[in-house]
Amino acid sequence: MRSSSAVAIAIVIAAGTARAQPAPGFAVERYYASAPGAGWLVMDDLDIGRELAGALSFTLGYAHDPLVVAGTSVVEHEAFSEIGAAISYRRVRLYANFTSPLAILGDGDAAPHVDLGNTPDAISDPRVGVDVLLAGEPGAAFRFGAGAQLYVPNGKREDYDTDDTFRAMFRALVAGDAGRYSYAAQLGVHVRPLDESSIAGDPQGSELLFGVAGGARLPLPCAAITIGPEIVGATAFRSFFGWDTTAIEGLLSARFETLGPGRNVRVKLGIGGGIDPNFGAPEWRAIASVEVFAAATKHP
Amino acid sequence: MGELSDRGYHALDDETWNIYGQLTYISSWKLPFSAPYTNLNGSPNSLLPTAERSFTGTFTLFFGLRIWKQLEVYFVPEVVSERGFSDLHGLGGSIQNFELQKSGSTTPQLYRSRLYLRDTFGLGGDRQHKDSGQQQLGETVEGRRVVITAGNFSVLDLFDKSGVTGDPRQTLFNMAFMTHSSWDFAADARGYSWGGAAELYWDAWAARISRMAPPQQPNTLPIDFHVWRDYSDSLELEHDHTLFGMPGAVRLLGYRNREVTGRFDDAIAAFEANPADNAANCGANFNYGSTNANAPDLCWVRKPNTKLGAGINVEQFVAKDVGIFMRAMYSDGETEVDAFNSADRDFSIGSVAKGTLWGRHVDNAGIGFGLSGISKIHAQYLQMGGVDGFVGDGDLHEGAEGVLEVFYSANLLRAIWISGDYQHIWNPGFNRDRGPVDVLGARVHAEF
Repeated sequence: MRSSSAVAIAIVIAAGTARAQPAPGFAVERYYASAPGAGWLVMDDLDIGRELAGALSFTLGYAHDPLVVAGTSVVEHEAFSEIGAAISYRRVRLYANFTSPLAILGDGDAAPHVDLGNTPDAISDPRVGVDVLLAGEPGAAFRFGAGAQLYVPNGKREDYDTDDTFRAMFRALVAGDAGRYSYAAQLGVHVRPLDESSIAGDPQGSELLFGVAGGARLPLPCAAITIGPEIVGATAFRSFFGWDTTAIEGLLSARFETLGPGRNVRVKLGIGGGIDPNFGAPEWRAIASVEVFAAATKHP
Repeated sequence: MGELSDRGYHALDDETWNIYGQLTYISSWKLPFSAPYTNLNGSPNSLLPTAERSFTGTFTLFFGLRIWKQLEVYFVPEVVSERGFSDLHGLGGSIQNFELQKSGSTTPQLYRSRLYLRDTFGLGGDRQHKDSGQQQLGETVEGRRVVITAGNFSVLDLFDKSGVTGDPRQTLFNMAFMTHSSWDFAADARGYSWGGAAELYWDAWAARISRMAPPQQPNTLPIDFHVWRDYSDSLELEHDHTLFGMPGAVRLLGYRNREVTGRFDDAIAAFEANPADNAANCGANFNYGSTNANAPDLCWVRKPNTKLGAGINVEQFVAKDVGIFMRAMYSDGETEVDAFNSADRDFSIGSVAKGTLWGRHVDNAGIGFGLSGISKIHAQYLQMGGVDGFVGDGDLHEGAEGVLEVFYSANLLRAIWISGDYQHIWNPGFNRDRGPVDVLGARVHAEF
């Protein structure tokens, strides 16, 4: 429908011309994983208690065609691993995530060629963050919180794993549980200094972040399975909800978690794709994550 | 972790997780030295005779987590910033700072140094306690056990350890004392690789075997994962003993590499058969940037080759907190350095003592003497103007490269050490025509 627009065709042609010049690249990944121990894939369950607790997570992800310009898959395959650690105390969670690109491959002059052999030890744009539960208690029907993240530039722009600038995210978070059902939502700002509006598909400055998730819990003895969708997106303030400056994707997520005292394990799976596969939203995506989380217990 | 343990939130003796960190900054000043020639005829690998400053700064986090029973995972991200003397050229087995990496830059770089799994299978024997520390969960293990390690790590995490020199960030600065200078163990340009290792501990005995992936090109960062074709295998036997009531250990180490490298005799033969196959004509072939048109070069002859070496590592405590160490290794020296440094033989000896004798039991002091040498064919290749990954002045009057080092490390505020260091290095680049070189060093090291 949009492509039938003459204006859009002109933009696409111009975009192809622009991308024909080898571009310096940018952080193509738009899967902004939740903090370790935060429940959902992207959203935050704000289950941040007053006791000393911690979480460690390991995530594998794959995105197909996250950057297609004028019919060319500039980035066709993008796979990553991420290791995260979090500690929480008195309703505040501090965390750090380290993302390693496993493969970033595509076609064309500007395509990256990253694989484990070429970059065996890369960590791209690590982030540190803080989340605070401002209202409500863990398990309550309504919880409200806020979070901030800082992305530290690390990597190479030509590898499409960094903007080579600091980035920050500030998010307002809500979450809740009601019987078998739980939900979460976020609204925030991605402060992104990189603005290359002349190059199609590239970042166009700071963005509005939004997302919502809901799920139903199937209780098991000492465990639970929660299944539900997560819908997340970003749009550049420069062209608010413009067709080429907005990325929206949906993920069907399922998580299995043990809920006993002491150490617990959570396994998260997600599959989905771009509802509006532009601006970095992939054609399809798969995510798998394992978390170990526990409240600290006093030793005698 | 100690603070958490003190407050009752963590069991140091039986850990399910731990996190440690370290920060180290090392600065080295090279004084001007005498050299009749430098980078002769376009050979780029001389140590510059002018005064230079080199530094490294590293910040490391060590995460450990017990996944299941004895199965553990370790993750170690690290930031490094560095500048070597003369772009890390001109020294063979006696590089003045063990932290220097081949791909480093003054811009801080964050990378994953290690991500590996370790599983332990108990076979009985005495119970032994492992203290909580970097890459070690506090736990009790059986004296007879098999330990499997797989993933991304350094072979030095397991092999050629020393209870005397311990963590190099606490003791001698020079790379000659970190491990055998002539052990060309597989590693990327930072010193890490991927692979697997198996260890068998049987009371006072230990045996280790590993296979690690080499770099795709010598001394570069990309890794060649075709480990059934290109690999580095290592085998080590260790015996721990007590002599006059003091602990000691003897380790025998052998290695066999099959990697894409160049043989020195092949490079010389190619050049003599066709002088156009010289260092200046390498073109797209991987090379080290020599523009010497009258010299052979390894770029013409790289193919799968085998390298062999064997060595011994002896350590002995002679008093409480006073230990001596000795290492020696002989490698065949037929092929170029693929991953570590240019030496083909090495010998080192020294002593490290804690300050217990003078009432400062967390201080360290030490002295070390190291020698490294090259094979005849390696020397002939360098004498003809050839270069390898690190040395090659354009000419050579061969001699063993040596280093004498002394250091003192003073502890401040429990977790911080300030160190002063002096090194005297002779025959830099195995060349008696150049040097000797004096290097002053300082180090700040913190652990948390």
